[in-house]
Amino acid sequence: MKWRYILLCMVGVTAGLTFSAIAQERANSTASSSAEAPAPTQGMPAAPPSAMAKSAADGAENGAQRLEGEKRFRTNCGRCHQTPHKFPPRVMATAIRHMRVRAMITDEDMRLILRYMTQ
Amino acid sequence: MPDVQAATANLIPRLRICHGRGGSLPHRSTPPFLLCGSAVLLAVLLSILFAFPAGAQAPPNEEVKPVPLLTGSTGFITTFDGGEPHLHPIVTPLVLVPIGGRWIFETRATFETDMVQLPGRSAFHGTVAKEFEYVQLDFIANPYITVTVGRFLTPFGIFNERLYPVWIRNLQSDPLILPIGIGPSNASTGVMLRGGFRADPKFNINYAVYFSVLSTASPVNSDRFAGGRLGIFVPAARLEIGGSFQHGLQDERSNAFGFHALWQPPILPLDIRSEYARSIVGRGYWVEAAYRLSQVPFLQNELRRAQVVARMQQFFAGENASDALLPMNTKQFEFGLNYYFIDGLKASSSYGRQFSTDGNKNVWTMSLTYRFVVPLGHARSE
Ligand code: HEC
Repeated sequence: MKWRYILLCMVGVTAGLTFSAIAQERANSTASSSAEAPAPTQGMPAAPPSAMAKSAADGAENGAQRLEGEKRFRTNCGRCHQTPHKFPPRVMATAIRHMRVRAMITDEDMRLILRYMTQ
Repeated sequence: MPDVQAATANLIPRLRICHGRGGSLPHRSTPPFLLCGSAVLLAVLLSILFAFPAGAQAPPNEEVKPVPLLTGSTGFITTFDGGEPHLHPIVTPLVLVPIGGRWIFETRATFETDMVQLPGRSAFHGTVAKEFEYVQLDFIANPYITVTVGRFLTPFGIFNERLYPVWIRNLQSDPLILPIGIGPSNASTGVMLRGGFRADPKFNINYAVYFSVLSTASPVNSDRFAGGRLGIFVPAARLEIGGSFQHGLQDERSNAFGFHALWQPPILPLDIRSEYARSIVGRGYWVEAAYRLSQVPFLQNELRRAQVVARMQQFFAGENASDALLPMNTKQFEFGLNYYFIDGLKASSSYGRQFSTDGNKNVWTMSLTYRFVVPLGHARSE
């Protein structure tokens, strides 16, 4: 009997969480659509040319890693369940460690996906 | 009576609590060749383990510190099984506690009930079943090996470990062959080594080897067996094929084996999954295709969230009966429609027809399921 009440309470709590998730989802989608096009970075006049070249190279490398991360995410994260949305970085770090163990995602895939999902 | 129960058991989402079977049967002592074999295996595995010392690989990405999570799922599943209605609320909380850079503690429990109308009464009645499905500690030793100890989902085939939660499965009913090879209560108690790595630029290998001891403490009972599963995944084709093997170390010391294949053609929102399993309790297969309607040119906003599913399966009863499996040869077709509202929230419905020597019947299901993820600490900052 007691368990039935606990179960009912849990279903109630979940219903609440569901609604808050929907609300959050709505908020996120409006936020992301307004923040989709980031302002192009203007040249930084104070930076010496070598530092600029270095940061450009870093940027290119980051971009490539991001692309690769996205590719690995698409290949791996929708194989068993629907591909999940991004969660806050520390949540993502736990879920991906969990998935690394459960889904036997490779070490390299895990790093790239974590980077992509937490950027 | 048990036959009737077994016959109805498989189309309705099976209560996950399996009551002890054969747990108290005596088991013979291990023959020397097996001990020797195990020792060699252990030695090989340990040497691989230490061949890649911790220092060779920095701990997995430490830029972001993981936070403990309360996650899991909840659902409400209604079934009309041969005309009889069943109400099935289910809550499955899961706690994840990352420890340091390489450890994670995970545990999942299920609270569920199967409520039916008693003769002469209109209200639904049922008792709540509860179970710790797994309680395990994982240690990511190196890029190739993760060591797991405790009670863990038996990695035989793919359904039990990968597709079981109500928010993941495409059809709410269990495959008929699910009980083959996973032990009583779906879990093993012991130790497991597992991992996934890139074996070649074109494919990855994933493996799990495990040893489970006999436990008769229902509902956390387990059998004494050893087994393994091997999978090859080709990322470019999104294709995985693999096989599972298990050797019983008690009673008849019988073997079980199975094969699985998963394919997601890169150009289509299509999931094809199938499994075959065989043991002395029976053999059978299932094939499932699920198509997400995201490429349909009209009503795109609505249809991209919808998915149609079809599954065909067949089961052949074996020489030894098992409470968890059907007692007779059975064929089953199911068709389903799923609708994904947001990440984790899904409504689904299905129609199934079961054909067996015991008679044919229809089963309808409707469900609403939700997967939640709640951080138990600061989610954004350290
Ligand atoms: C081999 C199958 C499989 C693959 C591949 C997979 N998952 Fe999962 N995932 C699962 C299962 C099974 C669960 C539910 C765990 C449970 O209930 O025990 C889950 C749960 C989750 C959850 C809920 C929180 C949690 O950790 O339980 C998130 C988030 C998630 N997966 C994200 C991912 C991401 C990101 C990827 C890609 C790196 C991924 N999954 C790849 C099987 C998989």
